[in-house]
Amino acid sequence: MKTRILGFVALVTVVVVTVIGLFVVPPDANQGDAQRVMYPHVASAWLAYLSFGVTALCGIAWLWKRDLRFDAVALAGAEIGVIFTAFAIWGGMMWGRPIWGVFWQWEDPRLTTTALLLALYVGYLLFRRLTDDPERRATRAAVLGIVAAIDIPIVHFSVEWWRGLHQTATIAAPDRVLDPAAPMAFVGTLLGFVGAFTLTWLYLMIRRYQLARAEADREEAARVERIVSARTVEAAR
Amino acid sequence: MTELRAEARIALAIAHKDAIAELRGRHAMVSTLFFAAVVLLLFGFALGPDAARLAAAAPGLLWLAIVFAGILAVNRLHLLETDDDAFEQLALYPVARRAIYAGKALGGFAVMLLLGAVVLGAVGILFAVDIGSAWGPLLATVVLGAIGIAAVGTFYAGLTVRLRAREVMLPLLMLPVLAPLLLGAVKATAAALAGDPFGELGAWLQLLVAFDVIMVVAGAATYGYLLED
Amino acid sequence: MPQITIYVSPRSVGAPDTRPPAVATTDLARLFAGSPAVAGVSLRVEAGRTVALLGPNGAGKTTLLRVLATALRPSYGSASVDGLDVGRDTHLVRERVAYLSHATGLYDDLTARENLAFAAAMLSTPDPSARIDRALGDVELEARADDRVRDFSAGMRKRLALGRILLGRASLVLLDEPYAALDAEGMVLVDQLLAAWHAAGVTVMLASHTTDRLDALLDGRVTLARGLVAEVSGAGVTSMPPALPQRPRPVVATR
Repeated sequence: MKTRILGFVALVTVVVVTVIGLFVVPPDANQGDAQRVMYPHVASAWLAYLSFGVTALCGIAWLWKRDLRFDAVALAGAEIGVIFTAFAIWGGMMWGRPIWGVFWQWEDPRLTTTALLLALYVGYLLFRRLTDDPERRATRAAVLGIVAAIDIPIVHFSVEWWRGLHQTATIAAPDRVLDPAAPMAFVGTLLGFVGAFTLTWLYLMIRRYQLARAEADREEAARVERIVSARTVEAAR
Repeated sequence: MTELRAEARIALAIAHKDAIAELRGRHAMVSTLFFAAVVLLLFGFALGPDAARLAAAAPGLLWLAIVFAGILAVNRLHLLETDDDAFEQLALYPVARRAIYAGKALGGFAVMLLLGAVVLGAVGILFAVDIGSAWGPLLATVVLGAIGIAAVGTFYAGLTVRLRAREVMLPLLMLPVLAPLLLGAVKATAAALAGDPFGELGAWLQLLVAFDVIMVVAGAATYGYLLED
Repeated sequence: MPQITIYVSPRSVGAPDTRPPAVATTDLARLFAGSPAVAGVSLRVEAGRTVALLGPNGAGKTTLLRVLATALRPSYGSASVDGLDVGRDTHLVRERVAYLSHATGLYDDLTARENLAFAAAMLSTPDPSARIDRALGDVELEARADDRVRDFSAGMRKRLALGRILLGRASLVLLDEPYAALDAEGMVLVDQLLAAWHAAGVTVMLASHTTDRLDALLDGRVTLARGLVAEVSGAGVTSMPPALPQRPRPVVATR
């Protein structure tokens, strides 16, 4: 019940914030209407990072506590994260085309890092499918998630370095809007998007976790059932 | 402290064992080097014949060849352990998991170093690049790159060695993680070859060092879980 | 008959009843892909005993041995070696256990001597070269010591794997089908090893289909069927019927 309320609230906030982003907030002086894509793009990117952080942390939690619920959350994080990552990349490209003239700009740290993040996520999900045993899978996936997550900040910094050292003329970056001179309306809208997307993320995570948990419980019950039947059959002999 | 010495001895024993097996194996090292050479040749076909363009692309081509051949090399080192389930036997010895990692990574590093040096020489010849002029920083880059690829490769090879679809999973998982190393190594190589006009060589080498340290620590800390069943 | 040298750790010394049980499992279960290979084994083997693990294929013998060897984690229940839990004290258990599996874990491109040298380094064997020589002699492989394992027959590999065990100071030796792939001489060698371990106070647990020659060597027998203990006989080994879990457990895996 509470989850449904959350879902409803998330939906409402997304609609509200989309309307604001599309119609209410004024366009950027330099970039025009194209700049509006920036709001969902940046918000999705942050949630993509958050998701992977959750996956990695849950991996650590599994290795420590050996509770399969953590693995269920890790899986949810990876799957939801892929969605937000793909969306963020799409948003980045949609924004980039009118602004940069091209769909892709290698020296934008967020775009490049997010692309790599997608590769890491997809690798993680594919990797999970190769192991059937739940505990082995949880352990291997946890370790993979941790090392991949460690790589993300390294990638981000190295691409920033790449941009900085090349001293290319100011590449317009989506989050230019976040410097102190930016008008409150922009910052406010962005925060609104972040909030709305976070609620959506939370809702999706909870739902996905519930699904994974239900499946794990079912599997667990089946396992225990087989053990019980094996023991009862033997006891009857 | 004696514990670390004991672990170091274990790591060296493992690296030594791998070295013997590699040298006696069906010339796998030679095949890997040859593969790198073939890759370079194909690059030449793909991007040539304009010598200037090849020379400009040389740092990138160098490291792509090293990384691709490196995947084969680290895969080989763990393939050794599939001899009659030797990997499991290795995991059952009462030795620290990070010592096993260190031993495997050490072997990987030696192979990568050799690979890097040979490919560097080949690039110098094939793409008309003067490596003699900056051999110091180039050597440093190769060493740091070798450490990084060995550290990451050992981890991922250990992760995939007993998996189905191993041949495609290893590069699929490993390559994205190597992106920062590739970037740093290529930029450092380019800077070194150009005489470091912007003074950026130091920064890139620092990136490589940071990557190496982080990845070695991460690999050593998590390798034990890979050996679990 | 040449004497086989068993290096005994201080843990193996002392009257059996002063030592903790060599093997103790409680409702041990291990599943693969949802199916229990071991469904519920509560077993206790006293120190210094030689016990055979019998039963048809698929009964769970190999899985039980592997859990005790720390090659597998338990899915449910617990197992301990010399009083040490296999999940919590895995490293300590590994110091005490030697395991001969179906696969020998030998490196094909190394010679017999080099394989043993590597094992000696991993086991931190003191005075390694002397002990390697002695081990090679004990398993009668001195003539082939410097040949590559790639050229060995299955029987010779098994001997070498047994030689590897002799390098260590295990207090519990787990053997999975030690007689398989051996010729008559090889089988006699295994008999001698069992006798030597028994004399040295080392606990031995072996899974085997070859039961007739074991009569004189065994203290006890455990028969498994469908992942459970069907029958126990002899001295030094006892078992309990497994508990019946009443409802599905929460999703927490045992360590």
